[in-house]
Amino acid sequence: MKLKKWIQSLIFYEILLGMKETLKHFLKYRPITLEYPHVKKPLPENYRGMLGLLRYDDDTEKCVGCDLCEAACPSRVIRVVSAEVPGEPTKRYAKEYDMDMTRCLFCGMCVQACPVDALGMSQEFEWAVYDKRNLHLNKEQLLAIGDRAFPEREKRLEFQHPNVAYFNVSFEDIPEKEF
Amino acid sequence: MFETSIKLALTLSQIGAVMGVVLLTVAVLTLLERKVLSWMQDRMGPMEVGPYGVLQPVADGLKLFFKEDIIPAGANKILFSLAPIIVLVPALIGFAVIPFGPNWTIDVLGVEFKPFVISDINIGVLYILAFTSIGAYGVILGGWASNSKYSLLGGLRSAAQLISYELNVGLAIVGVLLLSGSLSLVEITEAQAGGFWNWFAFDPLPFPQFIAFVVFLIASVAETNRVPFDLPEAESELVAGFFTEYSGMRFAFFFMAEYANMILVSCMSTVLFFGGWHAPFPFLQAPGNFVWVTGIFWFTVKVYFFLFLFFWFRATLPRLRYDQLMRFGWKVLLPIALGNVVVTSLLAYIFPN
Repeated sequence: MKLKKWIQSLIFYEILLGMKETLKHFLKYRPITLEYPHVKKPLPENYRGMLGLLRYDDDTEKCVGCDLCEAACPSRVIRVVSAEVPGEPTKRYAKEYDMDMTRCLFCGMCVQACPVDALGMSQEFEWAVYDKRNLHLNKEQLLAIGDRAFPEREKRLEFQHPNVAYFNVSFEDIPEKEF
Repeated sequence: MFETSIKLALTLSQIGAVMGVVLLTVAVLTLLERKVLSWMQDRMGPMEVGPYGVLQPVADGLKLFFKEDIIPAGANKILFSLAPIIVLVPALIGFAVIPFGPNWTIDVLGVEFKPFVISDINIGVLYILAFTSIGAYGVILGGWASNSKYSLLGGLRSAAQLISYELNVGLAIVGVLLLSGSLSLVEITEAQAGGFWNWFAFDPLPFPQFIAFVVFLIASVAETNRVPFDLPEAESELVAGFFTEYSGMRFAFFFMAEYANMILVSCMSTVLFFGGWHAPFPFLQAPGNFVWVTGIFWFTVKVYFFLFLFFWFRATLPRLRYDQLMRFGWKVLLPIALGNVVVTSLLAYIFPN
């Protein structure tokens, strides 16, 4: 045993093994990397990318200005200024909606918190900018992201399900209303 | 006067051709190394410039050429600019004695001219060893003149390493010199004519120099500061070692010198141990006047094999620790090289060819 080890160290046995391994990879050229900007890796379905604000299919904003996303956000990315819809005192909307994406950690808690599913996480991730201030997004920019990332839009809540119209809330397992 | 000018013109054109090939090989090697390394590591390597990235050396060269040349504050300006030249010139000058084809002497307008070696001096091996040692001065001076602790540490490490391993290179060659009876690289090549069984690495009588070849290979990897002996430029410890502070063309000089040294060492292994331009089997050699075609072909193949070996080592082996390097050089390689000299000389005395 000792002799075997001695001979092995004499002929650089372990180094030869390692070199065999590298040569195997050299001869079987199968790269696992992608030429990134040209070829992009398919992202998983639930990828949490750039945040965007969504609209209904009649181009009205989903957001009702409830501030729940602001409350849910752990890094205080979101700032919502809520206001009444002019002429419709029962409805509210977000007059201002700003996101400071320099702080965002893409946890998706705002999306979960939203009662009307007004926020969505797109598959966009190439948001490198030269100026940090370009990452302070206002409502128009967020809506634009939502528009291009989610071209399929939902109907207004009151048209989705007869029950939802009463609650203005989209619970999944909402009990059937009895008339 | 006429003869002198003819001789000058011939020699200059020959030097130009050899330098051109060497520098071209350096450019090719920069790409080849990245490609080989990345293939071994399951990557693609450079793919952007040209088809499959083949024009990458051009892009690299242009980039380095147009980079700002920074001399750090507190640096010794004269030595700082001298160091890259001291490193590069000895690396290139060694090719003057490398024979890359048959030892012919042709007569051009009454001037004797050897087309396949720039100058066949009878102490060729000594000449190369002497000049490669001068390259170490450039490394040390560059490290010292940069006024940076990383550079200084890299330079000092390089000095210690070169002194330790130069000795092993020299002693490993002694066996070959004993067998061939000459210091001229042309005559050493001539002594290995015939098939691969006549090459000194495999020559059964009086004693195969394969052990000496392994010692020479390891020591020459250490001398060119390549992985696994790249302590002078250890990226993870010393940023870039002795050329940390260099930028632009000066950095390119160090870079070219490293690759030129690799080519030189590969040429030396080819000439000393692997029969130079001789084909492994006699029937693979073109007959008569066309022997130089296969000669240059086989020489290139062998040199590129050794260059590939350098990249292969780099892809496989981790860096040695400093004490391991010193222990390996002095306690392992040196006794083996000395033993090889003793055994070879005894056997060469008992069984003279």
